[in-house]
Amino acid sequence: MRKSLIAMASLMVMTAILTACGGGGGAGFRAGMVTDVGGIDDKSFNATSWDGLEMAREELGIEVAYLESQQQTDYAANISQFVDQDYDMIVTVGFLLGDDTQTFAQQNPDIDFAIVDYSYEPTIENVLGLVFATDEAAFLAGYLAAGMTQTGKVGTFGGIEIPPVTIFMVGFQSGVEYYNQQHDTDVEVLGMDLFVGNFESTDDGRRAAEDLIAEGADIIMPVAGPVGLGTAAAVQENPGTMLIGVDTDWCVSAAEYCNVTLTSVLKNMDVAVLEAVRLSYEGTFEGGVYVGTLENDGVGIAPFHEFEDDVSAELAAELEQIKADIIAGTIDTGW
Amino acid sequence: MDKRRKKFFYALIYAGAALLLALCLTLCATATYTQPEQSTTFVLNAGSESQALPVGDLVLPSAMTWYVYGLVCAFVGGWQAARLLQRNGWALLAVSALAGIAGGVWAATGALYAAVLLMGGEVWAGAALLTGLAGLVFLAGLAGLVCARRRISLSIALTAIAILAVFAFLIWAARDRSTNLTGLLSSALLRSVPIALAALSGVLCERCAVINIAIEGMMLTSAFFAALFGSVAANIWHWPSWAAFICGLFGALLAGALLGLLLAVLAVHFKVDQIIAGTAINILAVGLTSFLSSRILSEFQNLNNPGILNRVSIPLLSRIPVIGPIFFEQNVLVYMLFAVMAITHIMLFYTRWGLRTRAVGEHPRAADTLGIDVFKNRYVNVTLGGMVAGLGGAFLILGSVGRFDEMMTAGKGFIGLAAMIFGKWMPFGAFGAALIFGFADALQTRLAILQVAIPSQFLLMAPYLVTMIALAGVIGEAIPPAADGQPYEKQ
Repeated sequence: MRKSLIAMASLMVMTAILTACGGGGGAGFRAGMVTDVGGIDDKSFNATSWDGLEMAREELGIEVAYLESQQQTDYAANISQFVDQDYDMIVTVGFLLGDDTQTFAQQNPDIDFAIVDYSYEPTIENVLGLVFATDEAAFLAGYLAAGMTQTGKVGTFGGIEIPPVTIFMVGFQSGVEYYNQQHDTDVEVLGMDLFVGNFESTDDGRRAAEDLIAEGADIIMPVAGPVGLGTAAAVQENPGTMLIGVDTDWCVSAAEYCNVTLTSVLKNMDVAVLEAVRLSYEGTFEGGVYVGTLENDGVGIAPFHEFEDDVSAELAAELEQIKADIIAGTIDTGW
Repeated sequence: MDKRRKKFFYALIYAGAALLLALCLTLCATATYTQPEQSTTFVLNAGSESQALPVGDLVLPSAMTWYVYGLVCAFVGGWQAARLLQRNGWALLAVSALAGIAGGVWAATGALYAAVLLMGGEVWAGAALLTGLAGLVFLAGLAGLVCARRRISLSIALTAIAILAVFAFLIWAARDRSTNLTGLLSSALLRSVPIALAALSGVLCERCAVINIAIEGMMLTSAFFAALFGSVAANIWHWPSWAAFICGLFGALLAGALLGLLLAVLAVHFKVDQIIAGTAINILAVGLTSFLSSRILSEFQNLNNPGILNRVSIPLLSRIPVIGPIFFEQNVLVYMLFAVMAITHIMLFYTRWGLRTRAVGEHPRAADTLGIDVFKNRYVNVTLGGMVAGLGGAFLILGSVGRFDEMMTAGKGFIGLAAMIFGKWMPFGAFGAALIFGFADALQTRLAILQVAIPSQFLLMAPYLVTMIALAGVIGEAIPPAADGQPYEKQ
């Protein structure tokens, strides 16, 4: 029995060491980030937000660290680690961390918090919610997709049915509908109700894409973080289909799929995170809500890269016009 | 059977009967509200490029098909009920009397309904609903009378009903539209591959009485090493893609075998509680892969790009419509699943090694007395089980998405365990169960694409609901190997 205990204990210790990475010590301004599940290298919102902190490290010379959440029960534990180590600022990434962030923010009024994809009503004094009007950018992507489809069907699907995901899908659909209105076409959006139920299983992303392609979609926008990379693999294997990336420019972050990426719906979380940290560093931090829009370049669509020649000049010009109209508020994105 | 178990068993039959009757009621009621002229189109050609001979679309009249399926469900529901009633003669009599009356009502309302339809007027929903109800009760009674005296394999009939009911639902969901049936079935198979491999891994381990709940962790770790080894071979050594694939597969099998060995050492040698040992390995796998992935894969992107296997078409067989694209135009790892499944079955039930393994799982003391090395047998089996789980991890990387991402197995290993139990610790059973899970998953995707007015959260429950229904109505009891989970101590 004792032998078995020793074996278990050593295994557990090894596990604990491997699970806890990141962290750090020392003086100066320190900012910590708690990721959502999906990992720091998800080529999506965790990675982009972390980019923001790394930019802050370079520009402001502060210390940064991250803790990865492997499951939803890790959120509180990870936040409390940073709190215990007296970090000056804690950035939490993701809608699902909303409740835990609120709890810790209220318990620790002297620490500044920023949370990506969540805003509080009423606002909390030491929390800045970083939210993005991605519907505006997704609207442009939808319009572009409707103009580019050969089959008359475009597809989308989400990870989990939560507002930061559905906002993309609704904007995308509105963009397609607007194109139909303007050009008297009948492009259909498939998968508005389709959610794979997680943000991790890339295999599910591939299967969802194959199902959409089998039903006739030739342009797919996966709104599910790394799960979308599975979609990219399916798109690459089916000639004539294209992909619309989300969060970052996938032609850069997932370069191996650049040849099938029509464009990406950008959600510039890195800029927003950097600004939040800068405010906290300079001592001018105030709780509230930051909204990234087309107007302040908080959201946008990426260049067409390899599809530059395929997108007609008229379509490109129309997109410019629509962007101006959305900023002016004359087009409703449906969100 | 002791008394309590018997009671439970009858409760299950009651539940099954009630469920099927309720199902057919809904089927018929909904069919009534479907316009008579609506039809459902099933596309039979594969959605992607395929060598299969093209075939025409399958067009079914929605409402008619629904009625037919509803009646079949009623028949089997009555059958189920009759199995109980045969014990009580008076109940059987009462039911048949009721059925007689209901039959009369059915005939009358049926005629009325037909008249309304023929006159081209609006469907009189009330009459139609009554028709459905009465007809069902009638058929149920009839079925009861007929079947009470006969014992026909119930599970086969129930399985057929379940399949019919699912397609009936699909027909309703796709009324006035079309959906790709071949794509749906192909997707079901591909979704079931990792689950089936996980289940086979479980079968190998539990047949020799070692519970392996570490399959999830084994798959995750092997997925990581498949990506790493494959990428190193492809992008650093610039091996041709087939060689890189073999290297990746080797990495996955190695990782799986090592974790299997670790589990065996903990469970067999140190006699650690197997559930806890498995959980520890799962946690270790998450930590290890997350750590290595953030230190290696995110730093060097070319170490996370092993490439994806091409599909291999089997000559001639792949030309068969529908069947060809589903079974004979897949990648090598899918074919390997079929091979592993068949080999496991043959090894377990037709070889000396298999007999010994089963003996060790049922009664290790007796096996030991007869000179079988229980420890060695368990070491070998659990390591092999780890390698099969490793194959599952390799499929996720080399056969599906071509890159590793943290936590990418997302519970498939655990669902594999459920499939193993569902399949009664038999290789083919486990594969069948995995297919059902895969199908439920593919079906819910299809329903979501067809925009059925069911919330996504409920659709995502579908695979698990299927399990519960199947366990209640079809499987009955699943009995594990007698010594499952108990460490063996030599005297």
